Amino acid sequence: MHGERRRSPRGTSDLDGPSVVPDEVLARQAGLGDKEAFAQLVARHGPSLYGYVFRLLHDAADAEDCVQETVLAAWQGLPSFRGDSSVRTWLFVLARHEAQKHLRRIRPSFPASGSRPAVNLDQVAQEVRDLHADTAAEAVEVALLAALDVALRLVPERQRSVWILREIEHLSYAEIATVVGITPAAVRGLLQRVRATVAATLQDWR
Amino acid sequence: MSEHDPADDQAEHEAIQSRTRDTVARATHLMRQHTAAGWSAIEDRILTRALNAFRPSAPVRGRHDGGDFFVASDVVVARLRRVIDDVPEAAAERITCSTDDNDVLDSVTVQLIAAYGAPLLQLAERVHAVARDCLEDLLGVLAPAAEQIHTHVHIGDVSNDPRIVT
Repeated sequence: MHGERRRSPRGTSDLDGPSVVPDEVLARQAGLGDKEAFAQLVARHGPSLYGYVFRLLHDAADAEDCVQETVLAAWQGLPSFRGDSSVRTWLFVLARHEAQKHLRRIRPSFPASGSRPAVNLDQVAQEVRDLHADTAAEAVEVALLAALDVALRLVPERQRSVWILREIEHLSYAEIATVVGITPAAVRGLLQRVRATVAATLQDWR
Repeated sequence: MSEHDPADDQAEHEAIQSRTRDTVARATHLMRQHTAAGWSAIEDRILTRALNAFRPSAPVRGRHDGGDFFVASDVVVARLRRVIDDVPEAAAERITCSTDDNDVLDSVTVQLIAAYGAPLLQLAERVHAVARDCLEDLLGVLAPAAEQIHTHVHIGDVSNDPRIVT
């Protein structure tokens, strides 16, 4: 813990406020060795990174490993971070990179981005029907959430990333394009496709 | 037998679409609200491991009464940042160190963010002074004297945002 006066942070888009240290300031300080600033960055973005990675990997232990590598890469990379993108976008770039590495390591057959996922469509459809049948239980919302998760498993990792980053994390098309490595126009196209898949999968849900 | 009305099909189709939109919106909302339960359990562990990990850093030679010792340049940079950030109206934006063949520090470059309206020359002098004191404290007699060390103070940015520089 450093004893210097803390410059009040300037927040990211959803964290703006007079007393919120901006991501860029925290990143600069962390890049210069300020561990407290780095801890603030991790506390701010860790939940989103973990949620994103978890929905790519569907395994808590794998997600922890992956986020661990992401946070480590961020700590080691901040001294050379130049701010070409926002800190948040950069962190998602690192997270996706680590998730893909992880998927290739644990599943050598992991398809390249853009190709179909190794999912049995009949099995997924049955899972959605099973979840739907469980609506009598008090956990209707849990089942609906699970159904959405199942629907997202129908699409390739890249489409899933685009959907999560847009619908859950509210990144802009340009930011998503940076994370996924495509153009903003391609992001728009992928988003339309995955939205259609999600809608078709959940169509029979009441 | 009643006649089939295409308008009925259209209405039913639109009703299904509307229901589906609502369902997807509800599911998406649930996913947004759903906090990844695992995060809080692992946050401390993840942070600690990262901060304890090796961060590539060149050695810098220091000397005290007991002999020579080495400090990671990362540590030098962190210490400089702390003292520079304590200078009113200044914040360190970038600090780079270079060493000679014997790992003796021979150059420090400090890039600053200055508060809007700050007297830049005086600010640079204050930063130069605290940086020199810091290096002497950290590296002992091997800290370069003021006239020997090449401390370049660039004003990289000017800000009137008190959250950035105060």
